Amino acid sequence: MATVIFHPEYRRYDFGPDHPFTPARLTILTDLLASLGHPVNPVEPAIATREDILAVHDEAFVATVEALDRGETVTDADSYGLGTPDNPIFPGMDEAARWLVGGTLYGARLIADGAEKRVLQLGGGLHHAACARAAGFCLYNDLAVAIREFVSRGWYVAYLDLDLHHGDGVQSLFYNSDKVLTISLHESGYYLYPGTGHIHELGSGSGRGMKINIPLEPFTEGREYLEAFDAVIPQALSWFSPAVLVVQGGADAHFADPMGDLALTTRTYQALYKRILDLAERHTQGRVLFTLGGGYSSAVVPRVWALLYLTLMDLPVPERLPAEWMKKWAAELGPGMTPTLHDPDPPYPPFAGGEERRRRNQTTVSRLLDSVSRYWY
Amino acid sequence: MLVREIMKSPVTTIAPETTLLEACKLLQAQGIRHLPVMESGRLVGVITDRDVRFATSALCPSPHAATDSVKCAMSPSPLTADPGDPIEDVARIMREKKIGCLPVVEGGLIIGIITNMDLLDAILMLTGVHDPTGRLEVALPDVPGELARLTTFLSHRNVNIRSILTYPNGQGLIHTVLRVDSNQTPLLAKALREEDFTVLWPVQKPWLR
Repeated sequence: MATVIFHPEYRRYDFGPDHPFTPARLTILTDLLASLGHPVNPVEPAIATREDILAVHDEAFVATVEALDRGETVTDADSYGLGTPDNPIFPGMDEAARWLVGGTLYGARLIADGAEKRVLQLGGGLHHAACARAAGFCLYNDLAVAIREFVSRGWYVAYLDLDLHHGDGVQSLFYNSDKVLTISLHESGYYLYPGTGHIHELGSGSGRGMKINIPLEPFTEGREYLEAFDAVIPQALSWFSPAVLVVQGGADAHFADPMGDLALTTRTYQALYKRILDLAERHTQGRVLFTLGGGYSSAVVPRVWALLYLTLMDLPVPERLPAEWMKKWAAELGPGMTPTLHDPDPPYPPFAGGEERRRRNQTTVSRLLDSVSRYWY
Repeated sequence: MLVREIMKSPVTTIAPETTLLEACKLLQAQGIRHLPVMESGRLVGVITDRDVRFATSALCPSPHAATDSVKCAMSPSPLTADPGDPIEDVARIMREKKIGCLPVVEGGLIIGIITNMDLLDAILMLTGVHDPTGRLEVALPDVPGELARLTTFLSHRNVNIRSILTYPNGQGLIHTVLRVDSNQTPLLAKALREEDFTVLWPVQKPWLR
């Protein structure tokens, strides 16, 4: 069982109707869970304060967000990554982002206070936001604020990023910290935004060897993804001995996601969630904080995150999607929607290049292990 | 990109009468490989870490003692670069002559040095990722206005271009690699295809082709 954190104000984090990072994803998800007979009964967090944000973000950046939020004209908004196609300015954005941070921070405090071990924050995961820069749909870095909360209490934190994209913001905010192990699995930055997340990004100073990146070839399938996961993550956690896992649960590495080229399936995700819970049992006495993240297909995201919810709540996974839910959201789900919670089997026709991808991914993992292992043990 | 933008300055030099031992210590202490040799303010040679090691090695046909002078192991009358030279000229000279550095001389005075490492840094600056960006690759016909058509397309969508690299693809097209300030390159690729651009990356998912 997990404590679920959610607040209706999360839906205010909305860049407009043409933007992919839409809060409708959350509405469709919670409605699916309710239709499955598991209405979400969340704990409502408080909004994060300005001081909470300043734990990781630059004051001038925050002041610029606030000024733009008030409708003031700011000449150097672009240098803060604001007012771009990825991060358009919208009224109320400062508060909306602080609600998301508040939820993740609330989850961290529940765990740090010993009140809960397993927490699911139904929002957040804004892993691209950097100290003085909004980026890739992310305004304030809720994950980093939560991690900072753990660290301020003397906890060692392992951060695991499942998003399609490299978790560059979280990595950069803790790049020289020896209290935070960051691990990101993602589509290679050679091909995909943000362009970073190479195996040689290992951290600096006393944090050297504590920043792990597993960049995967485009069209990497679930089996190889899990192989890479198994080759690196268990031994990294065993070496680092974290007190808690913080997991960015982006769902955009799914094969049908429109924003990238990894080829995970719902079954891969279910296997991942089980592995992570097992690892938490083994290394952190079960302490794990999950957030959401990227994920841009309405036909996919509710199913993947419903699996996350059901797995964390120890609930059975039904085979079929509720007909009334499919009917209600037919326009959003689009044509050809599978009537099942899992992807059809096989999920997609076989395609070429598997051997070469596999060889390259295996080389990536062995090179990574070669270079990090000198810092471990 | 000019030599003065990427050269290292000030430059550590050495006198021809200095011993090879001193030269070796200086190279090691500074973590460098090349020392211009200066006599009365004039450049008379270059000595490298490899010159020092070989001159004093048992493998050298006429080995020198560590106490011998730099003059006996240096390359005399070295090639030089001008701070206003384009770096591609410097790269060509260093590649053709198979040498690792050029002292940079202006008005008879040595003002810096450029090494093959500086050229690698230049490549990283030209091709690297300095800001969070996504990658677009488009094959453009080699005729006037095609790049403008591409950049205008991006400009209309308020997408900032952080870098552009182009090279001929060997089939009469210009392979154009852009790094753009956007997480939404798959959506841009789709829109570009609708405008009849030949988008090489992002590609369509293989099972949808």
